[in-house]
Amino acid sequence: MDHKIYILIVEDEIEVMDALVKDLEDFETVFPIETANDANEAEEVIHYILDHGHKVGLILCDHVLPGKNGVDLLIELQKNEDTVRSKKVLVTGQAGHEDTILAINKADLDHYIAKPWTEKELIDVVRGQLTDYVIDNEKNMLAFMQVLDAEKISEAMRKHKMTDH
Amino acid sequence: MKIISKDHVSVLIGVIGFIIPFFLTIPGLSEAGHVALSIFIIAAIFWMLEPVPIYATSIMVILLQVFFLSKQGLLFPEITAEYSPNAYTDFIGTLANPIIILFLGGFVLADSAVKYDLDKNLTRILLKPFGSKPKFIVLGLMVVTGLLSAFMSNTATTAMMMTVILPIIAKTNASDPLRIGIALSIPFAANIGGIATPIGTPPNAVVIGALSNQGIDIAFTEWMVLAGPLVIIVLLVTWLVLLWMFKPETDTIPMDLKGTFQKNPSAMLVYLVFATTVLLWVTESLHGIGSSIIALIPVTVLALTGILDKDGIRQLPWEVLWLVAGGISLGISMESTGLAEWIITNIEWSIFSPVLMIIIFSLVAIVMSNFLSNTVSATLLIPLAVSLATSGVAGEGFSLVLISLVIGVSASLAMMLPISTPPNAIAISTGTLKTGHMTRAGFVVGIFGLLMVTLYALFYWPLILN
Repeated sequence: MDHKIYILIVEDEIEVMDALVKDLEDFETVFPIETANDANEAEEVIHYILDHGHKVGLILCDHVLPGKNGVDLLIELQKNEDTVRSKKVLVTGQAGHEDTILAINKADLDHYIAKPWTEKELIDVVRGQLTDYVIDNEKNMLAFMQVLDAEKISEAMRKHKMTDH
Repeated sequence: MKIISKDHVSVLIGVIGFIIPFFLTIPGLSEAGHVALSIFIIAAIFWMLEPVPIYATSIMVILLQVFFLSKQGLLFPEITAEYSPNAYTDFIGTLANPIIILFLGGFVLADSAVKYDLDKNLTRILLKPFGSKPKFIVLGLMVVTGLLSAFMSNTATTAMMMTVILPIIAKTNASDPLRIGIALSIPFAANIGGIATPIGTPPNAVVIGALSNQGIDIAFTEWMVLAGPLVIIVLLVTWLVLLWMFKPETDTIPMDLKGTFQKNPSAMLVYLVFATTVLLWVTESLHGIGSSIIALIPVTVLALTGILDKDGIRQLPWEVLWLVAGGISLGISMESTGLAEWIITNIEWSIFSPVLMIIIFSLVAIVMSNFLSNTVSATLLIPLAVSLATSGVAGEGFSLVLISLVIGVSASLAMMLPISTPPNAIAISTGTLKTGHMTRAGFVVGIFGLLMVTLYALFYWPLILN
């Protein structure tokens, strides 16, 4: 594979960040994880990833961050051609009603995880989102089958008219 | 930043290989034979090292032949004593070779079956009689996979069957070897099942195309009678091998496949067209209408009714048709320029008995297609076999059809590595098994396949062909 698909986690609290990274370690063999503490750093990291020819498959974003908040960050990323396809998930306990509506309408939010989360819930959401991302964006889905929803990927391959050679 | 990649080197090797014969004078090889050798070399190198997709190489082969070997090309405008050039239409005509049309029909049929979930629903129905005992479930999975892959692509069948077996695997104890057995049973059965009919898998098309260039037409039914019994025995033995190597620990498997047949008018029509076409194909010897002609029926009916729409037509796997056409095309000039015969006469065949020759061709085909595309392996070997038979160097009684079948069938019996076939790649990607499991089981199946091909070629096929 010539490019990697990254998971980006944006979270300002160290303990929460560590917990998220730890819960997702099974994905890391296939989907490298990058972290950022605020929106600015997140944008820098994204630039870095894209500049090296890689892609951002999934962004897990806290809402309350120093500086620009998570929902605003996601809305901006939604406007950007390079990140419009990235799956966007809010992981927060503090996004109010209005912010959440904004995130759904303007950032095309893919999922909302309320803190505190359970490990299983988080893994299921991440697996589901990355599976959808891979099915929609990757030509060779086989490389991702092992850590993702293999059944769903098989079904997508069935519909994609795979051939012998 | 790497400036020179592996692919660049591969292209360079191919181009150098292409140029060399232009500066050589090989005794016993015609001038056109040198050009054909150039094309053969660049094609073989590109197909083996894959700096470009294999179908792209095939299309390039057709272009090179038109430019350099056809009557309308640059080098051989006149008929000479040693080479009467083919018209360029012979080369581009391979794109509409009857076997290509047959495959087109198969693709259209398979696609509409998938679109209306006929493949899944058939699987559900066909698996029912096999109960819930692990060994019979595995048998059932293999029979259904084999049957479907005889009419659909092996790869699409495998992808579909994965949606059936992954939930089973998930419910099975992580240490139960049954998981590995099931995960291997699908790709293996798909590879083997593809042998059963002319449209099962592209290597069959290469064989049939090469034979039709020699004026020998193999009917759909005839192919099934020749290949079917071999498929059944190899499938059954593979089943036993997998049970023996990966002995199930659990004694029941929960099977609850849900689904219902779609009953809307379009779906009903697809069922009807599918059943009619398959029925007409397998009864070709009764009514005598060629399978390629019948293949036009599903294409036409499904297009007229809009089930095969514009998007559907665009999404057909045209690259497979190009791949096969390029292969057939290469065979044409390897024959007509005398290249294939030259390669053949460089080997002292008289020291080999017919049995040994069958074993050699089968073994070479199996080994090659473990590493290369099955179609490419068949493409590279078939012209040699054709020359061997037509030039008479192999002696009396060396049947052209027989040795072509040996190659075609053997090319599908390679399943030792993840790269051997796309179904194998899918199975390994699930993470249920390791390459070592596949290699061991694939080795046993390959050896048994080699034995069976040899026995069939010696005893059964001559019975049918004569």
